Amino acid sequence: MIEFSKVKKVYPNGTVALDNVSFYVGDAEFAFIVGASGAGKSTIAKLLLREEKVTAGQLVVNEMHLNDMPDRVVPYYRRQIGMVFQDFRLFPNKTVYENVAFAMQVVGEPARNIRRRVPALLDVVGLSDKLKRFPDELSGGEQQRVALARALANNPKVIIADEPTGNIDPQMSMEIMNLLVKINKNNNKTVLVVTHEKALVDYFQKRVITLSEGHIIGDRIGGMFE
Amino acid sequence: MRGYSFRYFLAEGFKGLWRNGFMSLASVAVLTSCLIVLGAFSTLVANINFNLELIGSVNQIVTFLEPELTDEEILAIRDNILAMDNVSDVKYISKEDAYNSEKEKYSEYPELFAKLENDNPYNASLVVTYVNVDQVPTLQYNLNQIDGIYKISYRSDIAAGIRNFKNTVIFVSLWFLILLLLVSLFVIINTINIAIFSRRQEIGIMRYIGATNWFISVPFIIEGVLIGLISAAIAFVVDWNVYRYIESVIGSDIKFIMVMPFSQLMWMLVGSFAVIGFLCGAIGSLISLQRYMKA
Repeated sequence: MIEFSKVKKVYPNGTVALDNVSFYVGDAEFAFIVGASGAGKSTIAKLLLREEKVTAGQLVVNEMHLNDMPDRVVPYYRRQIGMVFQDFRLFPNKTVYENVAFAMQVVGEPARNIRRRVPALLDVVGLSDKLKRFPDELSGGEQQRVALARALANNPKVIIADEPTGNIDPQMSMEIMNLLVKINKNNNKTVLVVTHEKALVDYFQKRVITLSEGHIIGDRIGGMFE
Repeated sequence: MRGYSFRYFLAEGFKGLWRNGFMSLASVAVLTSCLIVLGAFSTLVANINFNLELIGSVNQIVTFLEPELTDEEILAIRDNILAMDNVSDVKYISKEDAYNSEKEKYSEYPELFAKLENDNPYNASLVVTYVNVDQVPTLQYNLNQIDGIYKISYRSDIAAGIRNFKNTVIFVSLWFLILLLLVSLFVIINTINIAIFSRRQEIGIMRYIGATNWFISVPFIIEGVLIGLISAAIAFVVDWNVYRYIESVIGSDIKFIMVMPFSQLMWMLVGSFAVIGFLCGAIGSLISLQRYMKA
């Protein structure tokens, strides 16, 4: 599903963010990408979103080669990926319902399907009773759950969560992570979580890919934060 | 494009217009001014053409005769002119006919004509109707060769004067319009730039969830087009009312200028305003968007 092969990323200012990074995450697999600040975790998320291009090596997601992907194809590629960010990135002037519905509207989903699917998605993340709330009326954990529902809206094969618990309290963090695990298990989605939260990683005992200074220094199933 | 998408785009376009209140207003004001000037110049040129045609339709040359000519001599001159190429008719206007015609024309001043009754200053003339306006210079030359004709009067000088005036109006208005259109475009580009900048976070989110450049751009293009069309509508109403006012003033006070009925100009104005407004808005938005549209 996600294949990094000898990927190198050098930013225009000369910083080498990733060097010779190779790993493969299969269908319906759950993996953590961990490491200290500056290890290259965020660069991996940016490359997967095709916000940045690899400098050398190959990056393939869902059989799509990101290296030579024309810009006009990028939006269609992103629809196959559900993205969750640390800062939620919700539309502040749209309600919970509208935020999720908008992701479907963007891809041209008929209104009938939107009306049917959005309440079901919000039910999965436990926000059925807050459809008409605006993001600033919700807690951080709730906002992240809206973001998760939105990430699932177009039924993507991959969910990428970039520090999804970075802005929420520990109890909520556990809930969000439980949801991600549930989505991986029940919906057969490939889930990649970029994080630096040792406690959560150690608790879930999933595959852990550890980065340090742009290199992979560990890749263990059922691993711990090193 | 699906039905609901179109509603979404239109609603977003209007919202953008509202959110950017001041800049939208500035854009509308500048573009409206530009269109009002365009309308004023084009209706002026249309009216000049209209009056030129009226002058052209009076295809006559007046030849004034020496006062001492006898009736036989006048008849001989008439026959001579009738035999010329490009002449369809020659009509004799006697001194008395000329006097009476002028007296009728200026009936408000009967005392003036009473004084002239015994000393008629008008000359007898032959009014020559020609066929082809292009051959008038030849005809004028031939008429000048005839003894007994002391002066010929043709409105070519008036027509040439009006044509020169028209060309000057077109020249000045063209440069003025190009300048105004550039200013309008510049203001619209800025308005849309500000609109995009104030929504850059939203645009960023839209990109992450897979919105195409098209989906992101259309509301801004609609916003630009709305600025253009609103300006066109305002400019039309202003020009229409100003024209009606001028029409009423000239229609009642200045007899020698004919004003075209507005109905003959209306569709030209509506069409050109709508097209220019639409294009200015759309092109302005597209230029601003170009910088922001990346993957």
